[in-house]
Amino acid sequence: MTTLSSSVKPKATPSLRKRLRLDALGNWIFLLPGLFFFFGYMVYPILRVLWMSFTDYRYLSREPAQWVGLQNYVNAFADPLVYDGLSRAAQFTLMFLPGTIILPLLLAVLVDRVEHRTIATIYRVILLIPAVIPGPMVFVLWKWLYNFQIGPINYILVEVLHIFTPQTAPQWLGGTSLTLPAVAIFEVWWGLGYHTMFFLAGLAAIPKELYEAARIDGANEWKLLWHVTIPRLRPILAVLVVLRFGSAMAVIDEYLIFGGFNRASPTYTWTVYMYDLAFKIGDWLQGYAAAIGWIGAFSMMFVVAGLLYIFRPQDG
Amino acid sequence: MARKDEEYLIQKDLYARLQRGQIDRRQFLTRMMGVGLGIAGVSTALAGCAAPTAPSAAPAASSGDAAPAAADAVAERPLTPTFYQWIEDLHPSIPAVNANFPGLNYQIAPVEGFGIERFVAEAKNSESTWDVYVGMTPFVEMTALIEAGVIEPWDDYIPQDVLDDLIPSIREECTVDGKLYSWPFLLDVVGMGWNAEMTEQAGIATIPSTWTEYLEAAKLIQSSGAALYGCTFDSHGWRSLVPYTHSMSPDVYTPEGLFDFTSEPAIAGLKLMKEMMALSHPDILLEGATDGGVNGTPDEVAFAARKVAYYTKYFNAPLRMAANWPDPSKLMMGGLPKFENGAGSTVFWTTGSCLFKHGKNKEKAAEYIKSLTYDMQIWQDSIAGTAVAHPGQLPPYQSIYDGWAASRPDWLPDFVGLITGQLPKARAITNHAFGLTQFQIAKPEWEKYLNGSEPDPMIAMQGAWDAVQAEIAKTKA
Amino acid sequence: MTTTTQMNSHANDHRRRRRMGVIIRHVIINAFMLVILVPLAWVLLLSVKSIPDAYSGTLWPEVFDFSHYSFVLQKIDTLPRNLFNSVYVTAATVVITTVCAVLAGYALVHLDVPGQKYVVFLLVASLYFPVRVVSLISIFEIQRTLGLINTTSGLILPYVTLNLAISILIMRSIFEQVPHELIDAARIDGCGPWKTLWTVGVPLITNGLVVVIIVNFVTAWGEYLLAATLTNDQAVRTLPVVLAGAHGGMGQWAWPRIAAVYVIAITPGIVAFGFAQKLFFQGLMEGALKA
Repeated sequence: MTTLSSSVKPKATPSLRKRLRLDALGNWIFLLPGLFFFFGYMVYPILRVLWMSFTDYRYLSREPAQWVGLQNYVNAFADPLVYDGLSRAAQFTLMFLPGTIILPLLLAVLVDRVEHRTIATIYRVILLIPAVIPGPMVFVLWKWLYNFQIGPINYILVEVLHIFTPQTAPQWLGGTSLTLPAVAIFEVWWGLGYHTMFFLAGLAAIPKELYEAARIDGANEWKLLWHVTIPRLRPILAVLVVLRFGSAMAVIDEYLIFGGFNRASPTYTWTVYMYDLAFKIGDWLQGYAAAIGWIGAFSMMFVVAGLLYIFRPQDG
Repeated sequence: MARKDEEYLIQKDLYARLQRGQIDRRQFLTRMMGVGLGIAGVSTALAGCAAPTAPSAAPAASSGDAAPAAADAVAERPLTPTFYQWIEDLHPSIPAVNANFPGLNYQIAPVEGFGIERFVAEAKNSESTWDVYVGMTPFVEMTALIEAGVIEPWDDYIPQDVLDDLIPSIREECTVDGKLYSWPFLLDVVGMGWNAEMTEQAGIATIPSTWTEYLEAAKLIQSSGAALYGCTFDSHGWRSLVPYTHSMSPDVYTPEGLFDFTSEPAIAGLKLMKEMMALSHPDILLEGATDGGVNGTPDEVAFAARKVAYYTKYFNAPLRMAANWPDPSKLMMGGLPKFENGAGSTVFWTTGSCLFKHGKNKEKAAEYIKSLTYDMQIWQDSIAGTAVAHPGQLPPYQSIYDGWAASRPDWLPDFVGLITGQLPKARAITNHAFGLTQFQIAKPEWEKYLNGSEPDPMIAMQGAWDAVQAEIAKTKA
Repeated sequence: MTTTTQMNSHANDHRRRRRMGVIIRHVIINAFMLVILVPLAWVLLLSVKSIPDAYSGTLWPEVFDFSHYSFVLQKIDTLPRNLFNSVYVTAATVVITTVCAVLAGYALVHLDVPGQKYVVFLLVASLYFPVRVVSLISIFEIQRTLGLINTTSGLILPYVTLNLAISILIMRSIFEQVPHELIDAARIDGCGPWKTLWTVGVPLITNGLVVVIIVNFVTAWGEYLLAATLTNDQAVRTLPVVLAGAHGGMGQWAWPRIAAVYVIAITPGIVAFGFAQKLFFQGLMEGALKA
């Protein structure tokens, strides 16, 4: 680190730049390991799915797939389940996204001010515990907690607080109107500490003098949060919002586990429909499923573009 | 939710500030440390187990592992059966059978949560890691496995005396175009189970044999306070709607093999479900918590938690749930009740073995499956239960029942006799590419009647039929 | 009281408000900690309930039963092996991804690579593309062609890809913060690109490495779908798949027994993580002191 200050030099001379350019193709070798994986396990499968979406590919059929042009897309746009599926995914996203951004942000602001080193460490360790629990185990846990008849949440609501009777107790999981909020709650729980850590990292970068200066000017804590902290966390907020939007719209495991394949369930989103078509129903219409996948992906990217515009870098 | 990761812009933010001159380089680097400090957490778990990163030390990802090289399908490979996980869990004496087949490469099938995808993918390459799959249920996946060219019939390998020993209705279930594609192993029949502690408390001495009696007994349970709820069922069609329908008449399948939702017996079955719901827990229609919603269902929880007295499902379910009671011997079981004017049938299905077309060791596989399915210890464990499991699944062979009738083993419980009486009348769900999925597609439609949003059961069932037809039309399009 | 003009009392008031603030802050933080910990404590309690108590719904059991742990250890005798598999796959995934990300991030910022704009565009686009479900078939085909089905090591390849794009982008933004002048200076001094990366680049990007490592650790450690599809031997599988198998509906697994599996499965991670956390903090503090 000490070498840093002494080795900052003016821009390299043009002749040096030129010499480096000769190595340009050779420099590709640095990218090769990453691109090998990226193309092999990501780009190629995506392109294959794109190809499938223009065919009548049926996985179980022994007939070769026929090119059908845009037929799958035409069918999909006339399929009410596609619209329902997208709308359900969007509803979940609206329930999940605010909680998974705002709560960790507040928690990070609080934890960031803890000066006692041991206590701060303990908080950070606890925060990350949910992140080391494998997904299937998180689902099992909340399946228990939410159980209608003998889960602890309803036990407390019915037997301890007497807010409900066994007949009127909330039916959390299994395809009711409460299922999406219930899934959103535990998703927020799962990511609470993890996201808090991101914000903590961002907060650590905000100079403490800024706060002191603002305090001396008479700003209260809320003003500090609103005018100092949040503007400075804006880039992190942007990335979190955009990427969490992406993952929330494309949730599938939780829906399969907590809502099954019941088409009336709010958990039967476009991803579940796609899975159902591709792996369960009839001849496994993977061509059609692929088209639905691309429609879902395009709808998402449309919104993402909007979000990126909203969060576009602003100077000043 | 797959965690994509976002933190790279954290650093971006720092850098932007650096460029704007808000912080100098030294501050920048110090704060970067701060960032590392902040997110240090999880990575350090890794520090304990991973070698330090060095570009030259990147390990070749495909370095050989200690795994049995099952994928290398060489001609000399040992007999390789693959089992659905639950079969191993429920039948602990399978390893004893395996011990008689030295060199056997016993495996668990990669099917949970994902079905038969692996098998089909392999068959497309004209290969198979395994020789035989133990875990196929005919109405669920047999048609698909045949259509996709994954499996072949047993006829060339199964001994004639075994074929003749199969109970006729089971043999029919496992046969397509005159060929036996599933060698049946475990028989599940839908019947009735009840908690005797509760029926005793309610003063019920008789076993309900008709649905009228069943509903009355359930009402008595509730009015006497013996339990919170009178009766329950599993809302998945093949476990409730279909058996209730069969108890009126099993002749409810169209010529192409689909369940006729609009038939009179089906309507009667649906109305019965609504009557039962009035005596049951409010979450009865909800999806279960495991296996895509079909298991870990609310009825199981209610029965295990001793909140309900009467239960209709395949016997494995009440047995498994009663194992959680303080006194599991309070579980009683019998045949499915019937409508007064009904046929008194029910539903059964078998879980059996299929022979991979591109597998090997086919004669040996037949030998193994015969040995497995005739193993008397497995049947005793299944029916009488062991310390670890009590599946209550029954054998598919007539000769075994005949043997028990001739000299009754002391471990044989009464319910087996009650069920075998009903077995000749029982009918499997007809095999079809939509054999199982028709009930998943149609469930929200018939439930419109059950949850009250559609008062006319006929209209609800017409909706169910239309939904299935619409889905089939997509396949044909 | 606040109207008083005395400086002293004003300061006192300020100090007291500050203290109140600290207390309120800790109360709120601890409420969040409870939200995180109480569900896990409930699982711990469940794992020692007798089976009938577990199904009675009451919070505190009448009868404790500590036998569930020995039951599951006997029933899933491959558990240590599965744990090892998970550690192995996770570690390898993290190492490979990190190496790929460092190399690519370095090249994209500090080296002249023709077409790097397109590479970055592709990487960013891929972040927003939900490819998981349908690409599974393709991935299966690839693995089969490579003969990597049913090998623990084979899982590493698709796992590396799960977070590769984001890892490269993280490293790219990290390297953007390493001054070009520094890299150029090293090269004027005669260092090749590799040596420059190793001697100048890597020491400056340690906290970026931490981020990439965490991201990959979390994903690989909990991955289920690929692992369940691409492996089939119990001894080859990773922990999450085996756990999911144990709670599958048809198995003879009462709630307290699954809870025991739960505790066994997550404790090593938490303990290792707790210890390593301390070491890491120490290392950082020492490093920080020297600077």
